[in-house]
Amino acid sequence: MTHPELKADAAGSAGRIYQEAIKVLANAATGHGALVAPDGRAFIDNPLCGDCVEMEVNVAGSRIAALAHQVKGCLLCRAAASVIGKRAVGARAEEVEQISAGVSAMLEQQAPPPAGWHELSAFAPVHGHRSRYDCVRLPFQALLAALRAARPRD
Amino acid sequence: MKWVLYERLRAATAAGFSCTVVTRLADGAQAFFDGARWEGAIDLTDAQRAAVRRMLVAGRSGMLPAEQDLFVRSYARAPRLIVVGAAHISQFLAPMATLAGFDVIVIDPRRAFASAERFPGVTLVDEWPDTALERLKPDATTAVVTLTHDPKLDDPALIAALRSPAFYVGALGSTRTHAKRVARLTEAGLGDKVARIHAPVGLDLGGRAPCEIAVSILSQVIQVRYRGEAA
Repeated sequence: MTHPELKADAAGSAGRIYQEAIKVLANAATGHGALVAPDGRAFIDNPLCGDCVEMEVNVAGSRIAALAHQVKGCLLCRAAASVIGKRAVGARAEEVEQISAGVSAMLEQQAPPPAGWHELSAFAPVHGHRSRYDCVRLPFQALLAALRAARPRD
Repeated sequence: MKWVLYERLRAATAAGFSCTVVTRLADGAQAFFDGARWEGAIDLTDAQRAAVRRMLVAGRSGMLPAEQDLFVRSYARAPRLIVVGAAHISQFLAPMATLAGFDVIVIDPRRAFASAERFPGVTLVDEWPDTALERLKPDATTAVVTLTHDPKLDDPALIAALRSPAFYVGALGSTRTHAKRVARLTEAGLGDKVARIHAPVGLDLGGRAPCEIAVSILSQVIQVRYRGEAA
């Protein structure tokens, strides 16, 4: 199924969500790959558009020591995973939760991007395309799930 | 038959690959063709090879046309139709193609669409098209049609199909959509193969309804199967 906005004029609003910054992030694929011995792993897909993210993390002292992802999906999903690859190492799970909430606030309420994650501002034009919010959120959900999987059992 | 060729034939048929053995009647020398590679003791001309391929695609055995001395034995499985995209057209195309004798497989990672309720009795695969096609290995008696309406899914399927010996590759989309697709696939290094894609897909029957487009696609697949690409 085509997202309705993709049928709009490519130079118009649909063109903006695929702006150059998004393409650069997506093609950089920062963090793409797999870890040798991940502490946590998660696979999440969106059954409506087919995008899927496999996320692996290593955790040391409650912080992300290393991560790797493999994304099959649209530019937005690949670009969001790339930002995670660039920024998430060193973060604690609670910080990732805050960032993830910040991404939602940015998409839904046009809030400024979370502090220290300025690359996320490239996703601001997605605000006008509700059906694409999950494309940006999917890699964050995968990262949170991978961190939950890495948590030692009580 | 030479032991090496027999082993090739046995392995190919066991793996579900359509393949052909050509025998020169004068001396019994043989060649083996699995849709992609030739082996054996006969050197055939390009024209002869093309003719053997056409017989394999059609699932036919017999004397090679216009030759006195070459017997072709095709070990062809039922033709397969791999439909990429559990779209509305696919809901008509899958049962129609099944009735027409094809083994039909529908690929779509969008699980909301690729549901058993929408595709009763059809083999459904919810992997990404490139992963699925790597596993399914389209052979010389396989047709691949992309109908997802989404380049993110169509493109990897077409790249895999164009690198395979599939006898038919078709892609839904207007002439304008196809021009952009050709540009992307050329950039991906498939410039010498994009001409194989039938687009706009299907015979020009004039119908616009999904069921009519399904008929036009199935007609074209059958036409190419028996008449070749030159038809």
